[in-house]
Amino acid sequence: MTTNSIRQTLALGKRSTLELFRQPAIVLPSMIFPLFFSFLGNSSFGRTTSLPGFPKVSSYLQFQLAGTIVQGVLFGSVTGAAALATDIENGFFDRLLASPTSRTGILFGRLAGSVLFGAFSTAVFIFALLPFGADVSAGIRGIIAMIISGALISLAVGALMSSVALKTGSSEAVQGTFPLLFILLFFSSAFFPRETMSGIYKTIAGFNPISHLVEGIRALSLDGFTASATARAVLVPFAIAIVALFIANSQLNKRLRSN
Amino acid sequence: MNTATGTSTITSTSTMIHEKDLHTTTMRSAGQLIKRSLINTRRLPSAFIPTLAMPIFNMVSFSGTFFALTKLPGFPTDRSINWFMPLGLAMGSAFSGVGLGFSLIRDLENGFYDRLRMSPTSRISLIVGPVLATWIRVTLVAIFVFIVGGLLGARPTAGVLSYVCSLVAALGISTIGAGWGLGLAFRFQDMRGAAIMQLSIFLTMFMSTAQVPLNVMTGWLHAVARINPITNIFRLSRSGWVNESSTGYMSWSNAYGGLIAITVLSVLSLIFAVRSLQKIDK
Repeated sequence: MTTNSIRQTLALGKRSTLELFRQPAIVLPSMIFPLFFSFLGNSSFGRTTSLPGFPKVSSYLQFQLAGTIVQGVLFGSVTGAAALATDIENGFFDRLLASPTSRTGILFGRLAGSVLFGAFSTAVFIFALLPFGADVSAGIRGIIAMIISGALISLAVGALMSSVALKTGSSEAVQGTFPLLFILLFFSSAFFPRETMSGIYKTIAGFNPISHLVEGIRALSLDGFTASATARAVLVPFAIAIVALFIANSQLNKRLRSN
Repeated sequence: MNTATGTSTITSTSTMIHEKDLHTTTMRSAGQLIKRSLINTRRLPSAFIPTLAMPIFNMVSFSGTFFALTKLPGFPTDRSINWFMPLGLAMGSAFSGVGLGFSLIRDLENGFYDRLRMSPTSRISLIVGPVLATWIRVTLVAIFVFIVGGLLGARPTAGVLSYVCSLVAALGISTIGAGWGLGLAFRFQDMRGAAIMQLSIFLTMFMSTAQVPLNVMTGWLHAVARINPITNIFRLSRSGWVNESSTGYMSWSNAYGGLIAITVLSVLSLIFAVRSLQKIDK
């Protein structure tokens, strides 16, 4: 990447970040709903922490923290990708193509906004739930690792959703993937441990990538700052992000060729 | 005197005819609106399928994910599907109801509703027709949910009454949702109303015994769910699906609270819809 490309990517990244933060009505639900579900879950399932198979936790909220982070980051990433699709719909994407802008910068600039928002919302969730019993056993280093993990999950999901945006050019299609994410979330270990599930549900949750994203962050929250917990929290989303970026980049190239 | 009497007779006869005509027009118009709504369901299955899929998804995912809840002491059933099937049905019914508000917003935006208002259609039929159409859709959804639930292991503990109570609760919730959705759509006349419809229904449903019974809840939710009338509707809906030994099992004392909640909330929400419609006319 040349200096110019980096400058252009940074400018586009700044634009996408400001765009997200300037539209609180679009972004706030992705933060309020996960927090609401956390408090709801804490009151509803508070007594389940003594069930056989449930990990040792100080409160259900401590168990739920990781699920809340992933839930918020998933929904926020859809918003970011929908904004890319809107750029395609309203012609801004074509204007960028007409200018001598770095092509990959268009994609990476958009994803930068999602990554920053992912890190920001992760920090908000941690500090909003901490006073209510969502302790992070890994301490401050664990919180930093969790924020990095949140940013990487945002990058991974944002890149996958951007592939949909680049392929379809429709914000409606991107929003249409929301129920799919919702289903994936509910069939994962985001709200209840896999150990308490049985039969087909346990198998589905085991294969579901969302379970692994959640359990990585949960390991930091419950087990403390260990090498394996940090590796799970950071490396799993990192690996998914690499694959997702590859897919998004090929979709971008396809769109460029068709243009 | 004679003239006066004659005039009075004519006026009285004309009022009688007018009232009779009005009644016939209301029912005929409501019938046409039901027909239109059902034809739309057939022509636009994409709009109806989510209503059908949502309760199934709710039922399947919740009963699988939260299966371990049934092992908690005092949980009223040992089958998680028995507990979560009425929740799925209630959610589907509520969103079928507020879905009326969405279609009304579309009709308001594309001008169809203005044409209805300009025609000599009875105003009440504009509410009665869609609500009755929702009842038909909710009944279809309920049959589908009962079949899928049965296949997944849901077993009634009070025979046919189990299905009847769940269906009554579902129809009640859809009426409340419909009145609320129509009222908000008349007030806002654009998609801002849709967001409020969804959010308010979602919060009201979940801040009740939607997920767990009162004896399992702790903290603030217990206090809120205890006074939330939707809790009574869930008690009615689940009374035929919990164990016979449970305190929530089918009995008049577990049913009347739900029936009162349905009646009062339905009347209030429909009054809200009628008042909001009158506001548009003004």
